[in-house]
Parts: sequence; C-alpha cells; structure tokens
Amino acid sequence: MFYAEPDQVEYMDSGFLLDLSELNWAAVEPWAKEAWMYKGKPYGLPLEAWTVELYYNKKMLDELGVKLPDNLQLSPDAFLDMVKKAKAKGITPMSLGAGDRPFTGAHLVHEALLKKLGVEDYSKLLAGKLAWTDPRVVETLTWIRSLTDAGLLPATFTTMKLAEAHIYFHTNPGALTFLNGSWYTSRAFNPVDKGGQPEDFQLGIMQFPSVPGAVCNECRTIAVGGSYVANAETEHKAEVIKFLNSFLSPEVGNEWLENVKVQTGIKSDPSKMNDKQASEYFAMIAKTNAGAKYHFGLPIQVMTGKPKEVFTQVFNNAFPAGNISVEDAVKQMDAAN
Amino acid sequence: MPAFRAKELKGDVRQPWGTIVAFLLPALTFYVALTAYPAIRTLWNSFHRVLPRREEFVGIANYSELIKDEIFWKAVSNTVTWACISPVIEVTVALLLALALYAKVPGARFFRVAWFTPVLMSYIVVGILWMWIYNYDWGPLNTLLRAIGLGALAQPWLGSPDTALGALILVTSWMWVGFNMVVLLAALHSLPKDVIEAAELDNCGWSAKLVFVIIPLIRATLLNLVVLSFIGKMKIFDLVWITTKGNPLWSTETVSTYVYKRAFEWTTFDLGYPSTIATVWFVIVLATVLLLTWLFRTREKLEY
Repeated sequence: MFYAEPDQVEYMDSGFLLDLSELNWAAVEPWAKEAWMYKGKPYGLPLEAWTVELYYNKKMLDELGVKLPDNLQLSPDAFLDMVKKAKAKGITPMSLGAGDRPFTGAHLVHEALLKKLGVEDYSKLLAGKLAWTDPRVVETLTWIRSLTDAGLLPATFTTMKLAEAHIYFHTNPGALTFLNGSWYTSRAFNPVDKGGQPEDFQLGIMQFPSVPGAVCNECRTIAVGGSYVANAETEHKAEVIKFLNSFLSPEVGNEWLENVKVQTGIKSDPSKMNDKQASEYFAMIAKTNAGAKYHFGLPIQVMTGKPKEVFTQVFNNAFPAGNISVEDAVKQMDAAN
Repeated sequence: MPAFRAKELKGDVRQPWGTIVAFLLPALTFYVALTAYPAIRTLWNSFHRVLPRREEFVGIANYSELIKDEIFWKAVSNTVTWACISPVIEVTVALLLALALYAKVPGARFFRVAWFTPVLMSYIVVGILWMWIYNYDWGPLNTLLRAIGLGALAQPWLGSPDTALGALILVTSWMWVGFNMVVLLAALHSLPKDVIEAAELDNCGWSAKLVFVIIPLIRATLLNLVVLSFIGKMKIFDLVWITTKGNPLWSTETVSTYVYKRAFEWTTFDLGYPSTIATVWFVIVLATVLLLTWLFRTREKLEY
C-alpha cells in the first residue's frame, strides 16, 4: 500500500491500483468516495479531506474596527474596505505564497470563480467546456485584480513558501488574513518553537467574501488529499481490504480529527472529541461550512496536461502577482484548452 | 639483424586479446549501460508513446508536436540566453580576478580561497542562499538598496518576469567565476616568462601587454572555459528547480526543467514526448559545441 492523491489519475490509467469496491463504503462520506471513483470503481481510501478557509487574526480585525456579519461573509465592498484599512496601517491584508506549491496562490482565483459561476459552470470551465473569456470569468478576475491592486497580497507572494506564509500570518510580521487549506493546523498547532502560532494568537475563520454578481456565494472547494491505495498486483488482497476497513469507523475518524486536526473522508462525530483545541477548531470549521455547496477537487486535481501547466503558471503565480493582465490570462487559458 | 631472425620474431607476435578484453570490459560495460544504452533508448522512446507496460509507435508525431510547443521554445530561448550571457560574465570576471591574483594583490591567498568557495557549494545550497538574498522584505540586497536610498529599486527579484532570469544568471556566474579564475591563474603562471619580460622591455603598458601578449597566449584556455560554461548552462536544472521552478510565467523555464515537468508533472506516465525534447536538445547542444569549436579553432600556430 502507499499514499496517493486522487488527481494522480495516471496510476488508474495504467492499472497500477487495486479496485477497493469491497471496502465498507457505508462508513465513508459519499463525496469523499466520489473523489476516488474512476470508471465506476473506487481506488483509494480518502483519509484526508480539506476545505479552503480564510483564517484571520481576531485581535487585528477588532483593532481595525471591522465587524463580521452573522454569516461570517463580508460583502465585496466591505472586504475591499477591510483591505484598505489594513494597508493604511501597514498590515498585509492577506498572507499567501506560491513559492513552493502549485496550488496555494490559485485559491484566490478558484474560490471566487466557483462562487461566481456555481458548481456546474465552474466544472465546465475547468474541463475546457466553458471559455475563459466568458464575461462572468472576466468580471471575476477583474474584481480580484482590484483587490490585488489595492495591496491584498505580500510583495513576496511569488516566492513565499507555504511554511513562510504561515509564519508571515501569525508571527512575523503578522498579516490580517490567510487563505489556506484547513490543514493549517498541521503547522500552526505545533509548539511555537516548531513553527506553530503563538499561544495567545486569537485565530478566527471567516467566509471567503461574496463575489459581485455571484450565483453561489455558499459554494466552496473541498478536496480529498492524502489517501491510501494498494498495488493492483498484490497477492494479499484480503489482508489489504481487512487493514483498510479497520480505519473505517467513527472512532478512528474521531481519532484522526483529534490528532491530525484536519477533516477526514471517514464518517466521524466532532461533537464527541475530547481534545479542546480540536473541538473548538472544528466548531469554527462547521460554522463556516454550514449550508455549503461543494465542488470536489482543486483545479490542478481536475485538469491535466497543458491546461494544468498554464493554470499553474498563470493563476497560481503570475495573475495574483499582477504580472499578467486579465485579458492575457484568459487568452492563455483558452489557447491551452 | 639477419633476415631469417626478423621473420621469426614477426611470426611470434600475438595480440593478447584475452588481456585486452579483460581490461576493457568493466569500463566498456559501464559506458554501454550508463551512457550508450540510455542515449539510444531515449532516441527510440522519442518515436513512441512510452507508457507503463506498453509502447506505441507514433513515428514523428512527437517531433511535429514539439515544433508547435510554445513552452518548449520559451524554454529554449531562456536556456540559450543563459548559455550565451553566463560564459561571457564568468570568464571576463574570472580573468580580471586571476590577473589581480597574478599581480599578487595584498590578501591574494585569502581572496583565492574566498572566490573559489562558491564552487564547492551544491546548487541546492546556492539556491537557498540566494533566495534569502533576493527576498523582497528582508533579503540583504533589498535591505542594502533601501539603506542607501535606492529603495525604489528594491523588488521581488525572483518573482518578476523581467528580473527573474537575470537574477539566476547572476547566481550561476557568482558560483562559477571561482573555478574559471583558478584555471586562468594556472594558465597565467604557465606563460613563458621571457615573452612577458620581452614585452616589458619594449615598454609595453599593462593593458597592451594584456591585449597583445597575455590574452593571445591563454586564448585556448579562455575558449575552453567558454565552451565548458556554455555546455553547463545548456543543461541547467537544479538551481531553477530549487528557486523558481520555471516561474514566473515560464520566464526561468529551461529545457531541462521542461523535460522533467513533461515526464513527471503532466499527470501522465508518457516518457515519449520528454524523450523527444531530450533528443532534440542533445543534437542542438552537440551541433553548437562543434560550431563553437570550429569557429574558435586556432588558424595559425602562435610563434614567440
């Protein structure tokens, strides 16, 4: 057995992975199983799942005089106002880096596009069946450009590594918000001397702001991450199934939540957790995800080949950094499709 | 010697083939296994779609696709730019440093070690070091610019398409100047002293001595260093992978990084197309090196 992620379709294409239809899928969230379906069969046990969350510094937000609405989602104008207030005080509004990951920088773009278009049209966009020059796409990218032009991101965005972006947010120099996967905890909840957030850091999670003219402001991305897969040529198929089934219980799901503090595809019950920090964290996650409609998979998990390469170069790096115009960005994506 | 004796000796000479093969076989095996076979196999792969457990012959389809591949041509442009600029900087600066050491400037022994030290570092270490130097917020370069009132020039050197490639070219030049300097210093020390003294007796100033005496005498060394540097930059991978991975907007994409991406990051196991890129690039590099060697050949023997 080994670790893989569902976007690694080349493994399924080449017949390397064992069909895991015999697992106890009743114990797995249906959306998590769906991530591993390939030609009608499941090939991975979806251990890790995560959503894109907008973390913020509660104390900093209070000091800026910004109040979040009950649904935790700022309007476009209120969000831009927050950005300007932060900049005026010399605070970077959003920590984000694309230095060593092909997907972190693109969170800004794909979350906005998902809300604007809704799940169905967003899926078409990623599949190359909707043009990137669609006026709704152009409007959304233009709105994002207005935010980045207002100084949303750090100047070191293109080279900032993921670990650096964490530190940038909660410690040095400190940013107002941080757009990151919900596995933020895997670094931030470590001891301070191992890169964790300060003990007195007041972490909050807000919704990604609503997007002008959006059809689905409650839409968000959920992704299945690290999963267990097995070699298709194993001579121990029964043992593999037995071993993997041993993970599929609410008790193991809860243990994962408490120890790893990231969502899981295994059905679990956060209300029964003993760890206080995990319990409070998942309460925040539950609040921001209440009523959410999900699109499964990041763009780079859905795209392949040249569109994936161009998307990574353009929307993970160049576009948020302001190195390419909206017009050129959409032209490049349509040309790649 | 009597003729009959010569014939006898001639008839007795046998080639010791067993010994010859025994001594050549290990080296030949390594060469075939690790150099010749991979090269031939790459050429073979370039005419196929190479997937796990199967191959499909596609003829010249990969080559046709390569001609239209904009990312490949961007990578070629970046790599050739790097390979043309870097040798000029490296060898020129190295020559100046070598001349300074040859002239026995104060602290020459210290400077020789200091300037050679970057050569001893791996590209990984160099990449991490220069990412810190180029950091927009706290890197020494921007900090210095701000300290001397040139803060307007401070920028994300590796994050801008306008500066990223130049920033990396500077890094490799910094790294390899020391090696070139040491080689040139050795060449300077091996110059015939009587020729240098003769030039001095003729009241030849330093610049004239350099241009008309020293450089012609070390021309072969200079050109060899240029060719070596050129070849090295045509293969550059590690530094780019550690620092920018071809970003931003392919402005630092090289042929080597693009081969890697096509082989391992395009969500396909096909090794055929990357093999096509590698084959074409091998031919281009070989042709360029042969051209350079022919262009720089010595037309007449230098007499002194």
